[in-house]
Amino acid sequence: MKMLEIKNLHAKIDGKEILRGINLTVNAGEVHAIMGPNGAGKSTLSNVLTGREGYEITQGEVIYKGDNLLELEPEERARRGVFLAFQYPVEIPGVSNIYLLKAALNAVRKHQGLEELDAIDFLTLVRSKMQLVKMDEQFLHRSVNEGFSGGEKKRNEILQMALLEPQLAIMDETDSGLDIDALRTVSEGVNALRSPERSFVMITHYQRLLDYIVPDFVHVLSEGRIVKSGDKELAKELEKSGYSWVHDAPEPEGQPA
Amino acid sequence: MKVLTDIHTDFAAVAASRDVMVEENSRWHTLRQQAKAQFERNGLPGRKEEDWKYTSLWQLGQEQFKHQVSQPGHADIYDLQLVEDAYRLVIVDGRVDFTASLIDNLPAGLTVSPLSQAIERASEFLNQQINIEKPGFNALNTMLMNEGVFIEVAANSQIDKPIELIVVNTGRTEHYAMHLRNVIVMNESSQATFIETYAGNDNANGLTEVITEINLAENAELFHYKLQREALDHYHIATIAAKQATNSKWHNSNISLGGKLARNDIHSQLLGEQSHVTLNGLYLVTGEQHVDNHTRIDHAVPNTTSDEMYKGVLDQQSHAVFNGKVIVHKDAQKTDANQSNRNLLLSRGCEIDTKPEMEIYADDVKCGHGSAVGQINEDQLFFLRARGLDEISARSLLTFAFAVDVIERIANQELKKSITAVIEKRLPKGGNHE
Repeated sequence: MKMLEIKNLHAKIDGKEILRGINLTVNAGEVHAIMGPNGAGKSTLSNVLTGREGYEITQGEVIYKGDNLLELEPEERARRGVFLAFQYPVEIPGVSNIYLLKAALNAVRKHQGLEELDAIDFLTLVRSKMQLVKMDEQFLHRSVNEGFSGGEKKRNEILQMALLEPQLAIMDETDSGLDIDALRTVSEGVNALRSPERSFVMITHYQRLLDYIVPDFVHVLSEGRIVKSGDKELAKELEKSGYSWVHDAPEPEGQPA
Repeated sequence: MKVLTDIHTDFAAVAASRDVMVEENSRWHTLRQQAKAQFERNGLPGRKEEDWKYTSLWQLGQEQFKHQVSQPGHADIYDLQLVEDAYRLVIVDGRVDFTASLIDNLPAGLTVSPLSQAIERASEFLNQQINIEKPGFNALNTMLMNEGVFIEVAANSQIDKPIELIVVNTGRTEHYAMHLRNVIVMNESSQATFIETYAGNDNANGLTEVITEINLAENAELFHYKLQREALDHYHIATIAAKQATNSKWHNSNISLGGKLARNDIHSQLLGEQSHVTLNGLYLVTGEQHVDNHTRIDHAVPNTTSDEMYKGVLDQQSHAVFNGKVIVHKDAQKTDANQSNRNLLLSRGCEIDTKPEMEIYADDVKCGHGSAVGQINEDQLFFLRARGLDEISARSLLTFAFAVDVIERIANQELKKSITAVIEKRLPKGGNHE
């Protein structure tokens, strides 16, 4: 089953074209890694997929489970099962983590036509998910990400993902700012969520993350296009030789320069 | 001195009729005569007065207020009380509602009485903390006030339940003006909680004008909360002034939600060493509402502390004014004073005039102040939407989150809960954010 289809996607910000014809198909159960140097358009791609304002789509389309994803508000995408794990999770002083988790879960459940969970069922569920990412319960009652370390913030993202059980998870530079222990915990959390019904798009600069979360496909993004695709071996190649060669790669066929 | 000379209500005539309440040659009577002379000379302040630069009283001056009601209207006090178990005085349309009040079984050491029934004792404390010589409401209130609450807590008494004052303008009589005076006397080492609520039915379009004078003797402590939630066509003018002796503590929270025009002048004089004042404020205004908070703290002696946090949320065409003055007098060494005013603007049409001021005449002090004006953080908004919250709920949640630390500072848990509920109803979309 096709989960996500990106067809010839072009996007601009402040009049500058960042995405210049992206094509990508992600099937249910697959894990795709999108790698690329700084400025390749990695963050723009995740922002466009999750609906952040400020981007102008000039060409192409994105189909998620048969629907035109780009026409949906960010909250609609989330409720239909698209999850963005943020590169820089924001701090929200004054909003407790438990409140956020409950509001987010109830928004998704309401969309699915399910009742809100009562307090006890909710807490039982959250506790089981917290074990997955080795988070202490005290984090529930702290303000969202406020005063969290880099690793704690990322674990909090995975906790939200585990609770919301998305169909498609987009992970933006999840390994940035993580030490090796935190990286391992976060990866274990993600691996536990892998399933034949769930797809992942991991956007990353470094190959390191892919040692822990092994992708089915690796794509190289450069100057707004996917210039090379392969399996996990491609990531190792990149690790060895860096990104300099991708600029010299030939234009993909059928795309205007 | 520029004053408002065009005042349509004939206050002097009302004052003449109020003289019958107090005995001639009494202290109260003398104060009234002085106040009347002052008000006739000075009237209400105009915008050339520094303290009224951003708040115009012109419209208030144009109103034809009435000062008598033939019969008070009806108010559902149960909906307005903020705590279940309290000693309570209820004033509806200027008259004490004894049926709704709970002042019959007071514990030893506590006096809670309508001002009109405590004239003799209250007289000793009247106008100790306010100045009637400046143009304005202090003189007006002194010549017209005829009700309010008188509270006295005896030395060494700790009062178990909060003392709650509920004042309602029902709107049954149009343009009805109430002039109230509250007097709170906290004797040595006493402790109490005082909650005052000013409310009204939606159609009330009068004036509530109130002065609260507080005396804190040595080691006395008062937890003091004010909630102003009157109707959108109502005027509210209030002064709260406290004198604090050695090691006394005053924790004041001032929440303004209602009114066409609401003005609070809050003043603490720290006159004894080790005395402390906390001033917390929150104002939430929308539509054409105007709210003005002027606070002043005088650190008059060494080793006193103050902590002030005012926060405001403005929407639509509303206008808020904050002026916080902290004065550290010449010999007030080792003063520790902290002040902040932060504002969240939800629309382009609103206006905030914020002016934190510190005047420091001592050299060994620790003082900090700051003010900020901001908007909803777009990254936070996107984050919440990316987690499935719709835009209105997300904005409402972030607005509540901005205000929450003022609410967190409320010591009484039951009160915190009920004030949270009142505030949530006033957010862009009412919801439960606990």
